Amino acid sequence: MNDLERAQREAALAAEQLAESWEEINLLYSIGEILGRTVKLADAARTILTEITETVRAELAAVFVHDAARGLLQPVAVLGANMASVKAIAIDNDSSSIAAVFRARHPVLVAEHVVGSPDDGAVQRGALLAVPIIWTTPQGGVPLGVLTLSGRKVGQPFTAGDQKLVAAIATQIGTAIQIDNLVQASMAQERLAHEMQLAHDLQMRLLPSPDVVAPQATCAARVEPAQSVGGDFYHLFKLSEGRTGVLIGDVSSHGYQAALIMALTMSAMAIHAQATADPGETVVALLASLNDELRQTEMFLSLCYVVIDPAKGELRYANTGHPHAFVIAVDGTADRLTANDPPLGLGSSAPKSVARPWHRGSDLLLLFTDGISDARDDIGAVLGEARVLDVVRARRAEAPSRIVDGVFALLEGHMGTVPPADDQALVVLRS
Amino acid sequence: MSFTASKQGDITIIEIEGQLIVGNRQALKQMVLDDLEKGTRKVLVDFARTGYIDSSGLGVLVSLAKKIREMGGELRLANLSDDLQTLFELTKLDTLFQISETRERALESF
Repeated sequence: MNDLERAQREAALAAEQLAESWEEINLLYSIGEILGRTVKLADAARTILTEITETVRAELAAVFVHDAARGLLQPVAVLGANMASVKAIAIDNDSSSIAAVFRARHPVLVAEHVVGSPDDGAVQRGALLAVPIIWTTPQGGVPLGVLTLSGRKVGQPFTAGDQKLVAAIATQIGTAIQIDNLVQASMAQERLAHEMQLAHDLQMRLLPSPDVVAPQATCAARVEPAQSVGGDFYHLFKLSEGRTGVLIGDVSSHGYQAALIMALTMSAMAIHAQATADPGETVVALLASLNDELRQTEMFLSLCYVVIDPAKGELRYANTGHPHAFVIAVDGTADRLTANDPPLGLGSSAPKSVARPWHRGSDLLLLFTDGISDARDDIGAVLGEARVLDVVRARRAEAPSRIVDGVFALLEGHMGTVPPADDQALVVLRS
Repeated sequence: MSFTASKQGDITIIEIEGQLIVGNRQALKQMVLDDLEKGTRKVLVDFARTGYIDSSGLGVLVSLAKKIREMGGELRLANLSDDLQTLFELTKLDTLFQISETRERALESF
């Protein structure tokens, strides 16, 4: 045989093999196309089943996906039978060939004469070919589900070639399942982030604008929760006879539970601040409103409630365990409004108010939470109360908004890129 | 940050090394609750090697004090640094605890 004849014969053989495999090549190509343009797993699985059943001439096909939370193989697509008639199969079901394929990670051919398990019955008509769907990672294969084919039209058993082809397709379906899992996880993450942002916005909206106490007082305030929501807060009240009420609070811990106590305190204070004249009475009434909630949640609340009466030249306050409350005098002296009771929820029952002089237009009220003074830098050093007081003293003649900016500039300079471990709240007021 | 527990007679002495903060308060709580399960009713927390307590740490001390008192026992504190002593005073928590300057005095006070 000369070279030309040999070449012609090889070319003819290759053409014949290509023609025989054409359907299979076309199927794999179609599946690649389907996966490329489909995002929903059920849609992709159904389309793939349609293509595959035509190629291997089977009438009944299904894709089961592993539901790890319930330990089940859940049907996500069924062709040739009513979807509702196909039940989920427990992965530890000993009588199910489909569950066995998932556990062993090996294909199984159940011959026509073998009576199928009742659990597999809905997807078995005659011989059954079940192939594991595996996601291949650098660490090895992860079983994701099972692909089944049955009801062979030609009445012949499935061949080893069919098994090989279906195994290749199952690998592609594994990719679709994994993409679907990632898309679902990403959507859930996005939803959660959106909800957390809403909760943050809602909490920030509960805080009043500092302008509510104008014109008898000039105020600036800022709250930065450590998580999306937190337990530090302030409240401002325009009271009768030109008086101004200022509250700062710090619920132990932070996050949603602390935010709930904060919201309860804000609404209860709005009622009690107007209904009572003395800050001690106000806080006693507040405690009565919050007591059950604090006891049930094992949380506590340090707060300082100050009422300034500039006409009388008097400041009255009730302080339950809040360490950072000061009056800064015109000469820079910082006088601490010392706590007279432990935090609410830790045994205090009847906080009493304390009175001190207030110099109209020159004294400055400074309230902040320990998230500011305890803020850490990148080597773990605490900012400290003294440095906060230094900034406020240096800027004491400026507008409260400038003082707040100055303290947060100090704080941000100290923390750098270190995320805050606790909520931070600051209120500065002149009246 | 770690806790060590030792026994002196019927008193459990717990030393807190480093900080008592939101991240380790549950571990302390569980350690004391387990000890109460075993029948201990006298607990002394020694802060000689403690640099910092945050508001959550204060909360767990109060919560444990309440729990121990309900069971007929006592929680005492000792060896607070000047900063920690100031923190207890500023928050008025010094009114809720019996605080001793040294471990020996705290042990005698039970």
